[in-house]
Amino acid sequence: MAYHLSIFVENRPGKLEKITKVLADNGINIRAISLASAGEFGVVKLLVNEGDRAFAALQEQNITVSKRRILVILLPDSPGAMYDLLVVLAEKNINLEDCYGFVVESKKQAAVVIEAEKYPLAEGVLKEKGYKLLSDQELAAI
Amino acid sequence: MYWEENLETMNEGTLKEMQLKLVNQTLAKAVEAPFYRNISSKKLRTLDEIREIPFTRKQDLREHFPYGFLRTDLSEAVRLHSSSGTTGNPTVVFHTRTDIENWTNQVARCMYMIGVRPGDVFQNTMGYGLFTGGLGFHYGAEKIGALTIPIGPGNSKRQVWFMQTFGTTVVHILPSYALRLYSIFEEMNVDPKKDTQLKTFIIGSEPHSEELRREIEDLFGVKAYNSYGLSEVCGPGVGFECPYQKGIHLWEDYYYVEIIDPETGEVLPDGEEGELVLTTLQREAMPLLRYRTGDLTRVLPGKCECGRIHKRIERIKGRADDMLIINGVNIFPIQIEETIMRVPGVGKNYLIEVKTENFMDKLYVKVEVDKEIFEGTLAGLTGLQKKLTEELKAEITVTPTVQLVEPGTLPVWEGKAKRVQDLRSK
Repeated sequence: MAYHLSIFVENRPGKLEKITKVLADNGINIRAISLASAGEFGVVKLLVNEGDRAFAALQEQNITVSKRRILVILLPDSPGAMYDLLVVLAEKNINLEDCYGFVVESKKQAAVVIEAEKYPLAEGVLKEKGYKLLSDQELAAI
Repeated sequence: MYWEENLETMNEGTLKEMQLKLVNQTLAKAVEAPFYRNISSKKLRTLDEIREIPFTRKQDLREHFPYGFLRTDLSEAVRLHSSSGTTGNPTVVFHTRTDIENWTNQVARCMYMIGVRPGDVFQNTMGYGLFTGGLGFHYGAEKIGALTIPIGPGNSKRQVWFMQTFGTTVVHILPSYALRLYSIFEEMNVDPKKDTQLKTFIIGSEPHSEELRREIEDLFGVKAYNSYGLSEVCGPGVGFECPYQKGIHLWEDYYYVEIIDPETGEVLPDGEEGELVLTTLQREAMPLLRYRTGDLTRVLPGKCECGRIHKRIERIKGRADDMLIINGVNIFPIQIEETIMRVPGVGKNYLIEVKTENFMDKLYVKVEVDKEIFEGTLAGLTGLQKKLTEELKAEITVTPTVQLVEPGTLPVWEGKAKRVQDLRSK
């Protein structure tokens, strides 16, 4: 089981900087970051190597943060890999609430992070199809 | 030039005599209302003895909601008006048929005073409904015999079209909306001075400066008159400017006027600035004794050139309490506070900002997201913002812009006054 951090942020200069400073000060490494905006505010999703420590450090700085359960799926870093994955999910009528990705090893391996509405179903379906899902420990080791 | 010459131009002695008689009649009626039942109904020998009667506050009206001030049987009331709000504190006012007739007569007197006559076309851009601004003027204009267009607020292009098509001569309008409307005239390439019959604007419901009045007069080529009223004693028609535009005449055959020091409650002499206090002299359903209006002004000394005996007050300078007037709608910060408190997902700290945008008032409400409840989705946040906007609109009738901010970023203050920042251009 893995999770990423979801942070409420006002859409103003310096706000995102403040968050990344907390991580930098605590020696936490960012695996991936994504940002969704609704105009004057947005939500930042952070995938880090030490989620618990990052969560505590951000909370201590009065930052509005929560943990969200995710599936981190390893894919080959090649054309069509994402399509294949989405076909599997769509067939089971599984909707994605959030999705972003990053390259683990160039031309070889990539990871896709998803927040799915039907979490246990999604996990089961992907495992059944032979996808490798990363745990927190495995994520930290990347 | 007078609607009721004898009542408008009587001499001081006659007025005082009439007021004393009416005050005593009102006292005798008032004790029939639950709120006033313990007030002494002993006849006053002089008008100054009214000072022994305690003040009535807006808070009293709220706390004795809904029937605490009603002295007649409910079956005698023919109309109800109410302020915004549903959280136990709207101000509800009842009218008997006679109250409505008196109110209509006051408005007719005001309009006649500034030259409105049968043959005029009166376009009423004020809100109809629970707000008294629309219906009050509507009946007054009809009583005079002016062709009345109950168009209500908004839809600016249609407003201009009506003005052009039906030869509107008199318009009742919020002063801020008048400026906005002028920009629509420009957009439509219509010159109000050449392409319309406009001659008189009635501006009220929100405080405005002399400069703004002159600007409206220059832009539209009209005379603009300041209207004063409050729904607690009827609505518009309580006071109005005469053609000399030197202060607002308050109809002293309908109201006994005092100016007090808002801190001490002491009655101030004419000329000194303080809070306007009104005692209704002819109200039947809900007489009010020494009602603190919250409006700051002063009585202008001396007689008016128009020949009317009725006291004049200066244009309203501001409020003795924290009431906000947003595009003519009266709002108390407590209404916003209580709404925020009952919507989960946001903290208790908030900031209210009022700005001028596109000539109109714009209300901003800043609230902090509650860290404990934040579940991490953008949809959750936009849903929260929408819910707050809807709840606030239901409470105050004005649609605010709700801004979600990070916890701990709003200043922490004691009390409500500093949570309101009025950044409007004067």
